[in-house]
Amino acid sequence: MARLRLEITKGEEIRYISHLDYASAIERAIIRAKLPAAYSEGFNPHMKLSFASALAVGVTSQAEYMDIEFKGDVEISQGVKRLVMALPLGIMVNSANYMPAKVPALMAIVNLATYDVLVPFTTGEFGAVEDSIRRFNEMQEVVHTRETPKGRKDIEVKQYMAGAIGATVQDNQVLLTIDIKITPTGSIKPGEVLAALVAIFDLNVDKDRALIHRTGLYVADSKTRRKPTEL
Amino acid sequence: MITLDPAILNRVLKPARYTGNEWNSVKKDHSTVAVTVALSLPDVYEVGMSNLGLKILYQILNNRTDTVAERVYAPWVDMEAEMRSHNIPLYTLETLTPVADFDIVGFSLQYEMSYSNVLNMLDLAGIPLLSAQRDENEPLIVGGGPCTFNGEPAADFFDCFILGEGEEIIEDLVEVVAAWKQGAKAHGKLGLLKNLAQIPGMYVPSLYDVAYNADGTVAEVVPNCPEARPVVTKRVVKDLNTVEYATRPVVPFLDIVHDRIMLELFRGCTRGCRFCQAGVLYRPVRERTPETLLKLAKELVDSTGYSEISLTSLSSADYSCLPAVVQSLIDEFKEENVSISLPSLRIDSFSIELAQKLQQVRKSGLTFAPEAGSQRLRDVINKGVTEQNLDDAVGAAFGAGWSSVKLYFMMGLPTETDEDVLGIAKLAYRVLDLYKQVTGRRGAKVTISVACFVPKPHTPFQWFGQDMAAEFERKQRLLKAQLRDRNITFNWHDARTSFLEGAFARGDRRLGQVLLSAWKNGARFDGWSEHFKYNVWMEAFEAAGIDPHFYATRERTLTEVMPWDHLSSGATKEFLAREYGQAVGEVLTSDCRHDQCTVCGVCQELDVKVIDGGNQV
Repeated sequence: MARLRLEITKGEEIRYISHLDYASAIERAIIRAKLPAAYSEGFNPHMKLSFASALAVGVTSQAEYMDIEFKGDVEISQGVKRLVMALPLGIMVNSANYMPAKVPALMAIVNLATYDVLVPFTTGEFGAVEDSIRRFNEMQEVVHTRETPKGRKDIEVKQYMAGAIGATVQDNQVLLTIDIKITPTGSIKPGEVLAALVAIFDLNVDKDRALIHRTGLYVADSKTRRKPTEL
Repeated sequence: MITLDPAILNRVLKPARYTGNEWNSVKKDHSTVAVTVALSLPDVYEVGMSNLGLKILYQILNNRTDTVAERVYAPWVDMEAEMRSHNIPLYTLETLTPVADFDIVGFSLQYEMSYSNVLNMLDLAGIPLLSAQRDENEPLIVGGGPCTFNGEPAADFFDCFILGEGEEIIEDLVEVVAAWKQGAKAHGKLGLLKNLAQIPGMYVPSLYDVAYNADGTVAEVVPNCPEARPVVTKRVVKDLNTVEYATRPVVPFLDIVHDRIMLELFRGCTRGCRFCQAGVLYRPVRERTPETLLKLAKELVDSTGYSEISLTSLSSADYSCLPAVVQSLIDEFKEENVSISLPSLRIDSFSIELAQKLQQVRKSGLTFAPEAGSQRLRDVINKGVTEQNLDDAVGAAFGAGWSSVKLYFMMGLPTETDEDVLGIAKLAYRVLDLYKQVTGRRGAKVTISVACFVPKPHTPFQWFGQDMAAEFERKQRLLKAQLRDRNITFNWHDARTSFLEGAFARGDRRLGQVLLSAWKNGARFDGWSEHFKYNVWMEAFEAAGIDPHFYATRERTLTEVMPWDHLSSGATKEFLAREYGQAVGEVLTSDCRHDQCTVCGVCQELDVKVIDGGNQV
């Protein structure tokens, strides 16, 4: 058994597919590439693939992480070349490394996600945007109501913020940079942070048109941020 | 090219239905080809993407350097509302090109209840709905699939219909359109239609005039120009081993209805079930050889990455070399974790060893279709299976560890009595008892699904008056009262949907105005119970002064001219009438692939023959 850790992308072409769809697209690519993936035992064997963090429908990413287990040895550059040929538009491989056998699962170690959120202004000027963001950043507690098919739930947003939100202007759009903690007990989506900014802090943007892009996933502590492939 | 606002895609359900870029989808520069084709099935993406015929046509068309084929399906109601409010025209998934910009738009017509979606899609595309309103600058609207064997109710909206198998005629179509375009569209739209009418298997409804009798029945359907043939006969591929197959199908991102490799074992079925339209339309039986199948399977696994192969056909268990093919597929793909499945099983050819080899092992239930509750009625429909067959199959399955069985039936078949209906309940209890006998325990799960029988054109029951909706509902209640065991689940079809389907299945051209007005009043996705608007349809019939019972529930005389008599499947009306007589007389007709020829007319008329690997050895 060998575990290959890949840094891959989710591009504009496949922005609107779900995490499950993304995972099965990669699984099919691995089969097409004829890589010797390992499968679980039992009546319904599934390929041993694991991801660091699910990405929502409508969100792109420049750095997702995935581990594949192989039954046998695959020479990395050959294996990656075959996989790249078999991947659909929108999934690129940035890097690939074999990991030591006992390395902990991606899910267990990745604790920080960083996002760019590009969103058009509705009215007003950048000064008002800066003001909304500043008030959010200074607030101790921000409560967002999460609505799911199962019901409503209040979530305190600030506990998941890994730093101040940044805001810059680009033509008629605002670029927000949002760093979010992923904790064993939960996290928050960048779209929910944006919704709270609009609802509570009067951020004057058209949130339905936001293009959300994940810029990184990290293993972070108080001093450093390391990519899961750099451990 | 259309641009899609993220705000819209973020709001709609399953936005990946509308954004393309799937593996194996083909993007070409439209300026480099002679003919552009938009291929559609007028239903939602997950249904449309599951159709094998369109996958084959997509590959054949895109193999040609002079042609591009792209896909378009019916947007779900949420996306339709967004498209209408933002003036987004219907577009194809490959290059987001407006459908109105294509030379040809092809619709696969698999069921009558999708007609309203055709109108809705044309409207969303900004294409005039009526063929008569479209000139040579509008796309040619083409229909294919089983409904074209009586496409008359939709004839006003289509420029032409393809009868029969599409592999060869689709290329004829493209070549005629390419030549017409190159010849500066000589004689305009009518010039093109007359050229098309000369392709065997191509039906151009506007080149035929329909006359009616005083009693409302059809007097005659005759060509109004010399280019149109008096009778259009279906196209049929002689040998499936030598035609192109969908070896590079588009692999969707989202889960579709049939999200697996479809390996078509053979076409046609000559069991001769008398209710079955497919059994007539797809004659004769033509098997692919095991060698062809293994080769196709390897190409498909390589090109798709799917890990399941479904062995499809009208009756896969009848494939002559099934155990050998299953074994060789299992051996071939053992290392790659590719599983093999059969979509349906016949009770009389069920083999427990085979079922255990297949992916069915992982699944909880087995499905069988006795179709009718009594032996008498099964003889009427020529189903041929016996209670002993059911006992053997289900008993073997229970013995091998299965505990749940699904049984499919129909109600409203010709000569049916209440006793026959109650026979369905008796069979359900018989299966429960059998479980107890075999295993010594209780607790088998039996699911009974009962459809309302819809008589279809080109079948021995094409003359038969469908049961009234109220009669279906009475029989459903009768049966329900008998199925009180909590181990039995009873599912039934909506009688009113089946009534409408019955009217359109055997309708004529006068139903075009009903279709148009029902669509205008909001009918769409009629096959989806949550969107079916029965009252809208009944109001549309009333407004047109047309009685749907005339088409659905009226028994025809054998001498009546049918609206589809000028459209031939190869099977003769004499054969169908003979079979209807045999049905009423409860006389069985044997399968011509194993027994003597039943002289249905197909092999004689179409110069084709049965290709059966089992008979060649």
